[in-house]
Amino acid sequence: MQKIQWRYLFAGTAAGTVNGFFGGGGGSVLVPMLTRTCGLDQRRAFATSVAVILPLCALSAVIYFVQGGLELGPALPYLIGGTVGGWAGGKWFQGVRMDWLRRVFGLLLIYGGIRSFFL
Amino acid sequence: MNEWLMPLAAGAAAGVLSGFGVGGGTLLLVYMTVFAGVDQHLAQGINLLYFLPAGLMALPAHLKNGYVEKKILLPAVGAGLVCAALAAWAASSMDVALLRKFFGCFLLGTGVLELFGGKRAE
Repeated sequence: MQKIQWRYLFAGTAAGTVNGFFGGGGGSVLVPMLTRTCGLDQRRAFATSVAVILPLCALSAVIYFVQGGLELGPALPYLIGGTVGGWAGGKWFQGVRMDWLRRVFGLLLIYGGIRSFFL
Repeated sequence: MNEWLMPLAAGAAAGVLSGFGVGGGTLLLVYMTVFAGVDQHLAQGINLLYFLPAGLMALPAHLKNGYVEKKILLPAVGAGLVCAALAAWAASSMDVALLRKFFGCFLLGTGVLELFGGKRAE
């Protein structure tokens, strides 16, 4: 039991660090940790990561705002889109195929990584 | 019009993925910084804000379906909050060019893991 608790703490630590530093992406770190070291099945890991990341985002957002890097105006359309999308995502979650979704996701990340690094 | 339409569409598409928990926020970051030319710091801040409604809207369905592992929440969130605060402070004080390099490495690493990360137990 004690051992498992430490795994949760470690998963939270990694997710918080990545999510705060990059302003997102905590889920991309947390989901594999939840499935591999905490023994959750994939679907549970995804849903649980939403619940874990949410408060981390709130706190990090406050700090970005206080530090002056965040304007609310340009954020607004993303927020509205995210509200609708998030609701639909929660609703469709049970029926979705995870494997091809993650392959497309991986390809897009590699493309974005190359562009971010070299531009 | 386009200033609103594209962010709205990108937010909605990413929101679906974020609702799943599959990294919609990561993709939205890529969209903003690589395709829409949003400054890295601003994009990161927007992305954090964006996840609040996106995640909140998805969470009730996950809870109702019993997919949220509650015993993990307290230790993971507790440890995560401390690190989230420190890392956010570090990133927002950091030079943008350097932050972008780190971000590029992070994307490449995550992308490779997603593609070749081995077992995906359903």
